[in-house]
Amino acid sequence: MLRFLTSLLIGILVGFVLGLYLGWVPFPVEYVNSPASALAQSYKDDYTVMIANAWLQDGDTELALTRLRLLEVENIPQHVQDVTERYISGSVFIDEIPALVALSEALGRLTPIMIPYRQAEITP
Amino acid sequence: MTYDNEQNELASHSRYRHRPLWRRVSWSGVLVGMAIGLAIGLYRAWYVNPVVEFDTEPWQLTESIRQEYMATIALSFGYNSDLTKALERLLETAPRQVDPFQDLADTACELTQTGYVATNGGLKAIRSMKTLYQLQGRTGCADTFIQLEIQPTALVQIELPTPTALPPATKTPTPPPLAVPTSTPFTFVVPTAVPQNQYVLVNVATYCNPSLSGLIEVYVQDIDGEGVPGQRVRVRWAEGEDTFYTGLKPEKGWAYADFTMTVGEAYTLDMPERSEPSTQELVATPCTTEEGAAAITSYRAIYRSNS
Repeated sequence: MLRFLTSLLIGILVGFVLGLYLGWVPFPVEYVNSPASALAQSYKDDYTVMIANAWLQDGDTELALTRLRLLEVENIPQHVQDVTERYISGSVFIDEIPALVALSEALGRLTPIMIPYRQAEITP
Repeated sequence: MTYDNEQNELASHSRYRHRPLWRRVSWSGVLVGMAIGLAIGLYRAWYVNPVVEFDTEPWQLTESIRQEYMATIALSFGYNSDLTKALERLLETAPRQVDPFQDLADTACELTQTGYVATNGGLKAIRSMKTLYQLQGRTGCADTFIQLEIQPTALVQIELPTPTALPPATKTPTPPPLAVPTSTPFTFVVPTAVPQNQYVLVNVATYCNPSLSGLIEVYVQDIDGEGVPGQRVRVRWAEGEDTFYTGLKPEKGWAYADFTMTVGEAYTLDMPERSEPSTQELVATPCTTEEGAAAITSYRAIYRSNS
């Protein structure tokens, strides 16, 4: 009986650790119906880039703001400025920078770091 | 205790002590314990202390936000015509094992059935979505919606009663009016653009063929489907426009005319003064055939007379 109980206890311990590992690492809880505010930063940035591209086509700043409200950021112009400066500082996705700069400028956030990327001809 | 008993007991202890580990473990106990432990561990990992939500991907968003995200992908594609990037983004929004372009078509269909299209921005987004999924040969109910939406409107006639003002009061009595003021209906015509609908763009299909790369093929037909030569067709793009005529390549039929696109450029099509401009942009995007050959997407458009 003692042998059985000891084995049971060891089994529970091993099983518990295994269960935690499985439940946290290979098969973690996958959230659905998440708000846009929970998006990974890279997706938030990408979404902002897409909005900037759309804005370059229609020049509708109000519409761009409406679409960006989806991200539930407190200060949208500040968010666009942050993304733009991050793209410039990181020198990644250089092709996307002019669009971001144009949108940021339309929102009144043209900072010195953005000026070299400012391209008047793409502004609608 | 006798010597023999002592020896037996020692032997017994020795046997137990040198028993291998696997003989000292109750495997049934271990298995039952592991099952219980596993259940408790999983319960704790999934319900009590689940992993904190972070790095959420677009497919995990609520349906309405996911739809908006997809519309934005299409709008961005409308700007840069970068099909690879658009596909990458769509894959991130689509639930697993789902065709991302068909998912886009279905989403556009759902959006047309909501108030989303009530705004110019929404309408533009739907058009962009339609362009993107049609380029990949997908269809959805948004196709029908856009066709209905571009139908020219007929003249609007509103009959309004016109109240006739009573004559002003005078100091001296006036003889009774000969006629009692009446409401006279008249026809108020709201001017609209002259309908340019002799020809209707009935179909635009895409294909990928290295020998016919980046071509807009136009067929102009009468109401019975017979080719009509000498019809003027116009393509317009951001920086300019060009005109060409049907029937100049008789080997391809009297209905036929074509135009070669520039890679990355987006074009609209119309028959000047005879049709409405196409709402769908024809974008010269790279494509790959089933055999793996690279080409530029080509279009086959059919105009048909409705009279």
